[in-house]
Amino acid sequence: MKRVLALMLALLMALTGCTGGKQPTAAEVEAPQEYRTVYSGEITTINYLVTASTNEFALAASFVDTLIDYDRYGVAQPCLATEWKVSDDGLIWTLKLREGVKWVTHEGKEYAELVAQDFVDAMKYILDSKNESQTANIAYSVIKNAEKFYDAEITDFEQVGIKAKDKYTLEYTLEKPTPYFLSMLTYVCFFPVNGKFLSETGDKFGTDNTTILYNGAYIMEAFEPQTRRALVANETYWDKENIYIKKINQTYNKEATTLAPELLLRGEIDYADIPSSVIDEWMKDATKKEMVRPNRTGFYTYFYCLNFDPKFAKEFEPDNWKIVVNNLNFRKSLFHALDRKAAMLTAEPYDPEKRILNTITPKNFVDLDGIDYTQLGKLANFTNTDSFNSKLALEFKEKALAELKGKAKFPVKVLMPYNTGGTDWANRAQVIEQQLENLLGADYVDLIIDPKPPTGFLKEVRRAGNYAFLECNWGPDYADPETYTDPFTPDNNYNWPHLAEGYKEANGKNTYENMVDAAKAEVLDIGKRLTLFADAEAYFIDQAFVIPYAAGGGGYSASRLNPFESPYSPFGVSSERYKGQKIMEKPMNSEQFTKGLANWEKERADALKAAK
Amino acid sequence: MLKYSLKRLAQSLVTLFIIITVVFLLMRLMPEEGYFGQAYEKLDEAQREAILTGMGLRDPMHIQLKNFYKSLLVGDLGKSIIYRPKVPIAEILKTKIPYSLYFGLTAVVISLIAGISLGIIMARSKSQIWDKLGTGYIVFINAVPAAVYYLFLQLYVTDIFKLPILFKPDNTASWILPAISMSLGSTAAYAMWMRRYMVDELNKDYVKLARAKGLRNKTIMVKHIFRNAFVPMAQYLPSTLLYTISGSIYIESLYSIPGMGGLLVDVIQRQDNTVVQALVLIYSSIGIIGLFLGDVLMAMFDPRINLQKKGGAR
Amino acid sequence: MGNGKINKLSDGINESLFEFAEFDDEEAQRAGYSNYSYWRSTWQVFIKNRIAFLLLILMVALLIFTMIQPYLPNQKIPTKIYLDAKTNMQLRNHRPDAEFWFGTNSIGQDLWARIWSGTRTSLFIGIAVGLWEAIVGIMIGALWGYVRALDRPITEVYNVMDNIPVTIILVLLTYIMRPSLSTMIFAMCITGWLGMARFVRNLIVIIRDREYNLASKCLGTPTGRIISKNLLPYLVSVIMLRMALAIPAAIGYEVFLTYIGLGLPVSIPSLGNLINEGRALMMVQSLRYQLIFPAIVLSIITISFYMMGNVFADAADPRNHV
Repeated sequence: MKRVLALMLALLMALTGCTGGKQPTAAEVEAPQEYRTVYSGEITTINYLVTASTNEFALAASFVDTLIDYDRYGVAQPCLATEWKVSDDGLIWTLKLREGVKWVTHEGKEYAELVAQDFVDAMKYILDSKNESQTANIAYSVIKNAEKFYDAEITDFEQVGIKAKDKYTLEYTLEKPTPYFLSMLTYVCFFPVNGKFLSETGDKFGTDNTTILYNGAYIMEAFEPQTRRALVANETYWDKENIYIKKINQTYNKEATTLAPELLLRGEIDYADIPSSVIDEWMKDATKKEMVRPNRTGFYTYFYCLNFDPKFAKEFEPDNWKIVVNNLNFRKSLFHALDRKAAMLTAEPYDPEKRILNTITPKNFVDLDGIDYTQLGKLANFTNTDSFNSKLALEFKEKALAELKGKAKFPVKVLMPYNTGGTDWANRAQVIEQQLENLLGADYVDLIIDPKPPTGFLKEVRRAGNYAFLECNWGPDYADPETYTDPFTPDNNYNWPHLAEGYKEANGKNTYENMVDAAKAEVLDIGKRLTLFADAEAYFIDQAFVIPYAAGGGGYSASRLNPFESPYSPFGVSSERYKGQKIMEKPMNSEQFTKGLANWEKERADALKAAK
Repeated sequence: MLKYSLKRLAQSLVTLFIIITVVFLLMRLMPEEGYFGQAYEKLDEAQREAILTGMGLRDPMHIQLKNFYKSLLVGDLGKSIIYRPKVPIAEILKTKIPYSLYFGLTAVVISLIAGISLGIIMARSKSQIWDKLGTGYIVFINAVPAAVYYLFLQLYVTDIFKLPILFKPDNTASWILPAISMSLGSTAAYAMWMRRYMVDELNKDYVKLARAKGLRNKTIMVKHIFRNAFVPMAQYLPSTLLYTISGSIYIESLYSIPGMGGLLVDVIQRQDNTVVQALVLIYSSIGIIGLFLGDVLMAMFDPRINLQKKGGAR
Repeated sequence: MGNGKINKLSDGINESLFEFAEFDDEEAQRAGYSNYSYWRSTWQVFIKNRIAFLLLILMVALLIFTMIQPYLPNQKIPTKIYLDAKTNMQLRNHRPDAEFWFGTNSIGQDLWARIWSGTRTSLFIGIAVGLWEAIVGIMIGALWGYVRALDRPITEVYNVMDNIPVTIILVLLTYIMRPSLSTMIFAMCITGWLGMARFVRNLIVIIRDREYNLASKCLGTPTGRIISKNLLPYLVSVIMLRMALAIPAAIGYEVFLTYIGLGLPVSIPSLGNLINEGRALMMVQSLRYQLIFPAIVLSIITISFYMMGNVFADAADPRNHV
């Protein structure tokens, strides 16, 4: 008892002692070129060979360099590889490595030199199914014999299409010609690892900052989960002249999204997302308005899926839905009735149009000699018109009613689940329910919104076919429009468009599938390939298999970084790097951003042309 | 005394054993995804079975239980699967417990001092202004959900006193408000208890006798009533102190303190079965151990306790 | 008996004293009569407390209002999204005014209607859990206290369940069973009866062997009468207290579960998720009303139930009846 009392007294004294002096705030002693942020999602691992989650490989991007990198206009640049060439049949890629790049430990001590074998060791680790790498499928989709090795059909790693020809020469052999292979090299499954270190650390590899090696721009000095992460510039980095930010301090905060704007105003951090709920307040306030700017939209694409393989509960009438969803006029009535701007207001109350997409593939993803992919072929028509058209919607409704009379039951029950994880989605579901029912009439469609918990959402809803109408998204895996057709292949589990009735062709496949296959087969004439993909996408949208909705990203932020200085690429880890970025005196405002964006787009067009 | 303690110890161990076994069996009902991490989707049925067998989850239940107890006895809680893959659970806890302990103990000290003083003041000024104010405070704290008043405290008090909104290990001013907020609930509980006890006790014969003997009010209060009042409190002290390591979910997430509070919620949401199991075990054991220590402490302090007969619910 | 003054003892002794008295039922009743009625006394003690009486009125008014609110004129639908007439877009974050008394939320739903709809949801949870607590708690408590053979096993079960923190059980169950209204009620019911059962059991153990009960038993009073006249009044106060407290407690747990992300979806308004929605906006001065209004309504409800419970428990305690 006495001890307990003594302990309490000591604690009390400690507490009262604490309240005395007030220390200077971080802002007063701030060092130049230090970048401070708060975050709410803690990483679970730094093992970049395993993870597929963005916030984890975003950090790894600063620690480990890739074979190539992208500059701020999205033009491929040498990085760990200084030069590369591809054989005439497009199957063998040979890359020459930069000499003298060092692996260092978390204390900055030199460990070894980076050699070609490091890439082979990493691939061997990824393709070992025991290691449960989540990016293995991307690696084995292109590299020769990799899938067989992963499935243990072959056990000799020598047969897999990756070789260290000598200390500085690396050779990839591909399964089939892949025009976009270079872009894939910036993804985590093509990262290097030091084989000796990997086998020494074993299971512990990547569990914290001491169990990985660094060859990139930064070293992780401290990693205290749920407290902070501290990054310092790597003194031995081969390209350290282009690293201006010397320190990056990331502080954990569970309520980061709510509190970051306030912390930024108090000068405690340098970056804050301004959530849609707060943006009104910032735009109305003269000083705050000067600090907030829009974000660029990203390359995730959001669309509304109509399910062709409904497997939901009987009470929501899946059979009836199956009848109506196979009617083109019914689909088109929904297609033209969905007011995407009203829906977007739940996420982007200011300037909702900037995120709205009329196609599956976002703008600026790939281009053909300076013409954007979304303006190619028949796709241009859709890109340039808004799908929301209440007059057309009602016309198609009448047609659908006439055609389905006696065959289907009206109002059609439309089961629309949503993920309760975020408020935006819940709000959007309610908005869409009322908007569609108001426009098309509650005697035509009856939207049933169905809240589902975030855990296992995709597994229970989308993959199980447990929906009629659902907001889905997809992110690109490599820089080619083919990546945006992946969700709609028969072996994927988005909305099973191959089951749509009335599209069968002679070979037993649906029209859309045949169009995509034709485009995929074209690997040499890039122009033709892109146009074929564009036509297939146009057809897919025209038949209203899905309703394109929006691009990811967007929103608003207050940031002391210049977004136009950062590396730019739609796919891979390049855009997560801090290379070339400087801390500005004060955050950019919206006008500066708009001006900067126009400038950047012009310069980018020139850079892309020059790179050809 | 020793005999009683040993008997209570044996009893606690039996309860502990039952709880651990029940929890262990309950945890087998947890969704099996929780043993795979993010790789679950990519594996086929045979691979999943192989991994589960490898982890010993396909052994007969009594073997699983035996293995579990074996590793538990050497202090091995297992490794995390999703929260921080392959990191031993003990290591995760090691970084988190000190924060919860610090705030928890500070809050206990504050609330003991504030609560007992408030209770005494209220009892002495029964039905006057202090008593009414105190009752108002107690009612408010007990009735309104903590999440609500914590939120408003954080919102307005930081504003008025220019305190930092968030906890920062190197800024001591940021330690004050979380500790005080955390003590509010138990302050009310102590005050309520103290007041009721004092009021009851003031009417008892020994107090009347003491007063008749001419003892001063203050002496009666301190020497007689307070000491008697403290004895039952001693019973709950060990549990209170032990429970501080579990932290406060609200306070720790509101002020961003990297303690134990949010850990259970985090790992449940991410389905990290091994960590969930470890935490549930720890929390339930704390209760049993605290209760045992409390009973022993009580027996030491209170001669009135009958060591021969003991039973029934507490 | 003897009427008239007895002057001399021997004078007073006469035949009449040795006659049998007629049994007069009415007379017999009057001797044992007291106009004590348990419930009337409870009521009298209760209304003497002015604050309590005010609270009772407030609470009844609140309950009635919550129930009939949707049927009153000029009320809005809690889930309907209101559009701005000018832009034909959602009337977002509209400040409180004559049309929208508590303003609108971020997609243009009426906060006033949502708060009352949320109150209905939360009260429903509270009352369901409270009733369950009363029924199951009293039943188990009575068995526990009365049947000596059951004392040991129930005590062990109680010790095990009581030692796992309630929040852990709540979180685990809601998690395993997926969040929904019924899950939430179920999870709260699983642990809810513990406290009640223990109270009832302890009271029964204490009271059943009291002298006056033994006396009643000796006098041949039927068991039913002992329970209803001697035991129940003691229990009623405790049962009422715990029932009244179950409602604020259930609301508290609901707020808690919502806070950690296991609450009801926002399309079903409840006090918990209204507060949680408001919390996201608390750093924005001009939108703080979306947190403050639900918080005030919630506080009024929980405080009035809590106080009512305590005051009523005091009033229902026969020891406080004069």
